[in-house]
This record gives sequence, C-alpha cells and structure tokens, in this order.
Amino acid sequence: MTLEKEQLIKLYTNLVRARKLDELAVRALGEGKIIGFFHSGQGEEAVGVGGCTFLRKDDYIYPHHRGHGLAHIISKGVSPKGFFAEHFGKATGLARGIGGFHGSDPEFGVFGGAGTIGSQFPVSVGWGLAAKKRGKGQVVVCFFGDGSSNRGTLHEAMNLASVWKLPIVWLCENNQYAQFMPIKDAYAREDIADLAAGYGMPGVVVDGQDVIAVHEAVQAAVERARAGEGPSLVECKTYRFRAHVEGVADFVHGDMRPQEEIEAWKQRDPIKLFEEKLLEQGVLTQEDVDRINRETEAEVEEAERFALESPVPDPAILDKALYAD
Amino acid sequence: MRELMYLQAINEALEEEMSRDETVFIIGEDVQAGAFMTTTGLVQKFGPERVMDTPLSENAIAGAAVGSAMAGYRPVADLMFADFMWCCADEVFLKAAKWHFIHGGKVNLPLVFLAAIGGYSHIGPEHSQCPESVVMHTPGLKLALPSTPYDAKGLLKTAIRDNNPVVYLYHKQLLGAMGEVPEEEYTIPLGLADVKREGKDITIVATSYMVKLALDVANELEGRISVEVVDPRTLEPLDIDTILASVRKTGRVVIVDEDTKRCGVGTEIAMQIVENAFDSLDAPIQRVGAANMPIPGGYMEQYVLPQPKDIVAAVEAVTG
Repeated sequence: MTLEKEQLIKLYTNLVRARKLDELAVRALGEGKIIGFFHSGQGEEAVGVGGCTFLRKDDYIYPHHRGHGLAHIISKGVSPKGFFAEHFGKATGLARGIGGFHGSDPEFGVFGGAGTIGSQFPVSVGWGLAAKKRGKGQVVVCFFGDGSSNRGTLHEAMNLASVWKLPIVWLCENNQYAQFMPIKDAYAREDIADLAAGYGMPGVVVDGQDVIAVHEAVQAAVERARAGEGPSLVECKTYRFRAHVEGVADFVHGDMRPQEEIEAWKQRDPIKLFEEKLLEQGVLTQEDVDRINRETEAEVEEAERFALESPVPDPAILDKALYAD
Repeated sequence: MRELMYLQAINEALEEEMSRDETVFIIGEDVQAGAFMTTTGLVQKFGPERVMDTPLSENAIAGAAVGSAMAGYRPVADLMFADFMWCCADEVFLKAAKWHFIHGGKVNLPLVFLAAIGGYSHIGPEHSQCPESVVMHTPGLKLALPSTPYDAKGLLKTAIRDNNPVVYLYHKQLLGAMGEVPEEEYTIPLGLADVKREGKDITIVATSYMVKLALDVANELEGRISVEVVDPRTLEPLDIDTILASVRKTGRVVIVDEDTKRCGVGTEIAMQIVENAFDSLDAPIQRVGAANMPIPGGYMEQYVLPQPKDIVAAVEAVTG
C-alpha cells in the first residue's frame, strides 16, 4: 500500500487544487459571480482528496456538501471548469446551469449532491446495488458529515448495505459541527465509527488532517468492498476553518465559535502538514512546491475565466428539461 | 377474450417486462410473497436477485430504486401501501422527481414506484390514503391509476419502459376485479384517456376505483340521465383534450376523485376545463372527493370517502 513518489505528488497537488479552488469560490461569491451560496470546505480537504484520488473512474462517489464537493470531485477527475460554470449559472456548467450547486459528471461516477443532508445514504445503496449486480468490481464512496449521521436514513441504508454486502465505503467527514450544532450535543458517543459494530462492518477512526491516513483507511475499505466482502465505515476527524456558510456568522449554538479553537486547528492544516512531510522526506523540493502552486493558480484562473466567459443558458432549455425522452 | 383479475394483470405485466429486459427488477418489503399478490410467484421464475425482499426500510427501498436507476437499471419499487410513501418522501418527491432535471438532463431515472391506494376497507387513516393530488402536484413524476385489468397491464408495461419515474397506484378494492386482457402483447401510452362509457347529458371524469363507482351510478341513472364516463388513466401526463371533447359534447361535468377534495385532482381538472372550455359549460362544475379530514376507521369511513349517493347528488345538481 506504500505510495510511489508520483502518487504522493498527486495527492499533494490535489490538496493544493482543492484549497485554491475553494478560495476562488469564496472570493467569487463575494464578488457576486457565484449565484446562490457557498459552504467552504477549507480545512477538510484531506478527506475528499484522500478518499477519491485513487478510485477507479467507474467508481461512484457521493460528494460531501462541504466545498460543494470540490475536493472530492476534482480528485475523482472532474474538471473544475464545469463546477464554476455551474456556480456562475452558466450553460457550460456541470448541470447546464439548471442545478446551481448540484454538479453532475456521470462519466466520472459523479452525480452531484443533495439539498437534504442525510439523503446520500439511501441513494448510495442504489449505486452499490447496481455495482453489485453489474459485477465489475465498482465501489461507492459515500461521504457524510457528523450532522448526517444523526439522520434515520443512515440506519436504513447501513443496515441494508451490510445485509446485502454492498460495495460501499461510508466515509464520515466529521468536522464536529452540524451547521451550528456541536457533535458533543448531538451524539452520545465519542466516535461515529462505533456505529459500524451495530451493522457488522469494520469501523475505523483516522486523523482527517493526514491525507495518507485517510487514503490508507479508504484503500483498505475499497479493497474489501471490491472483494465482495461488503461495506466499511471510515471516520475522519477534521475541522472546517470557515463558517458553515459564507456570509453568515460562525455560531456554535447561540454563541460564536471560539477563535482559539479555530487557530489551534489551523496549526493542523492538512496541506501544510503534508507539504512539510514531503519536503522533509525529500519527495518534494521547494521548487516543486512553488511550481505546483503556480500551475494550480493557472488552473484556477482558467476555471474562473471559463465560467465568466461562458454564456447564460437559453431559458428555452427548460421546456424539455423535466423529462427524459 | 380471456379474463384476468386486476392483480393478475399487474403480475403478468411484471413477468413480461422482466422476461423482456434483464435490467428490470422488483424491490420491496415481502415482494417475494406479495402482500397484495401482485408480485406473487415471480421469485420462483426470476430468483431472489431480481425479486428482492427488503427489511422494513422505505427510505432505503426508494433510495435503492433511485440509485440503481441512475446507474443503469429499471427498478420497480413496491411500497406496499401508498401511505408508506410519506416515509420515503425525500426519495420520491425530491430525488426521483427532480434529479433528471436538476442534473441538467445528464442522468435518467427509469423507475416505477408501485403502491396500493384507497379506502373502503375500514383500515383507517394510514392504510387508506390516495396520494394522487400530491404526486400530480410534484413536477417530474408521471402518475398512472389503472381502473381495469386491461389498463393495469398496459399502463404498467409502459411505465416500466418509460425513462422517467412513474408512480403507479393500484386500488385495493379493484384487486379482484375481472376484465378482458388479451393474450397478445400490448401497451397503453401514458397520457391517453379512455371513454369508459358514452353518454350525452353529462361527463363524469373519474380515476381508479372511482371509475367503477361512476359506472355504477351511470347504470343506475340509465334512462333518466345519459352519463359519459371519462377515465384519464394517467394524471401526468393528463389527456385534457379527451376530457374537453367530452365536455364540449355534454356541457356538464362532475369530477370524482377519492383523494381529499381540497386542492385535489378534481380542482385542477375543473380549472383546466374552465380555462379551455368555459363557453361549453351549461352549469357549474361539481367535484366529488374525500372530506377535508383524515380517513377514519370503522363505521365513520363512509362519511369521509366519496359514496355513490354523493356522485348521484352531484350529477342531479349539475343536470337539474
């Protein structure tokens, strides 16, 4: 399971891409280019990147809503151009400008997200069932947060997936807050991974700021799923650096989130941690780091330019949008 | 012609479509046994991989249908009682209904939600509902309500082949109804109404079990009032043209729907008639539907659900 140098660099590059693209989204929302809202995923990138970078193209992912799935879908291979075009309301968007933030790129096993948190579980059962019926070794990685774990849909889906031994990795991105609700007041135990025992599947807790730890845990779960041994639960302890949604105060219950808590977690920034490690191990030089950052900035600029220059959709497309032929 | 029971017609449609297309499968609680015998016997022919018994988990059943449909299969999710659709409202009304649209047409959801509707069984408020008004109100769901064995088979075959989610509601009071069903292959397009009885004095528009009640009333009034009964068969798409043609002929309309009258199917159809054929109307339209309260059990049910005498009263009021 030891990663080759180029695989390590790919993980690092995807982390940098996820962060810089998220920063673009935050800025573009402020500039009025994004129509709607944005839930930044900064601080949590290692989960999406570690969970998706080495999946097969025909595997399915249900991206987390944080970052609107940015870290997850770009790591799966989806171009950020369509993501931003969609957020800018453009015809070239992942959902032709109709979805808003529901991006869809079926070629990469990405069908977009949902407005109702917790609805990812039942739909993932459907993808897992299709994967099992087809018998080509596809897996589903279903991302969910600590908030989603409070939904009853989790029980129905995890239970059925275990009964039918579906090839699903339930990947919890536990950032410890469901909007303004801290996990300690919403869940009676310490680890969401403990739920796994009730469904007869492995459950592990990993450091969600350590992209290698996430990757290794997910990889083990993916191999188990591909081998037909059924689902697993991987819980990644992580933290969001920004407020739940841009432009809204950063509450915890009725108070503000403690600044010292945020600063402490920023010391464990997943990108910095990995960068330091790779520099220390000699996998990357400072020149490599600078180059990757420069190349990513060019990609970010290109995504923004593409989205800005793309046309607004013709409203006539709505006439044929409701039903398939 | 050969006669079958309504439930046999449903069963035969499932069997034929499963034989025709390997991606079709049935999923739900006790579908191998068949709570209403609509799926009985299919597991012996197709095996448990294609007739899948599930735990009591409506969200997971409907979600499995939505997900597997997106991923290339044609699931038929049996929700047993239509009342249980509320348990998986997210999967039915938010996912199945919206996801083709909201994903810019990049994914199709070729699936069928099967569910048994209707009262007159004295089994209370959570086993008797008709959800057609809510389904019809929701953009993105097609809606079929067969009233005869012939329609039950032809509509279900079409629903399974459709590339969109179809809610297919069969009525518990019709399960044992006999009717002609040809042995030869046939399908019925969605969005094609059927004139179940020709008449000249008044049009009754009715769906599902209400078609039977309307036909009974028409027979009762025979010789006094000539009643035409139009069954839309599907409410989405709605064949308003056939309804309007009948209204233009008779000039008088009663709409019968078993769901709650307020904001119901009858309201919508009446308004479409007013918008399109107002000049043809010789009298105000009347609606017959369930009273604005939950469906009670026991003896009280009859005071809430539409009764033949209510249809007679409406017909007499409109033609009087």
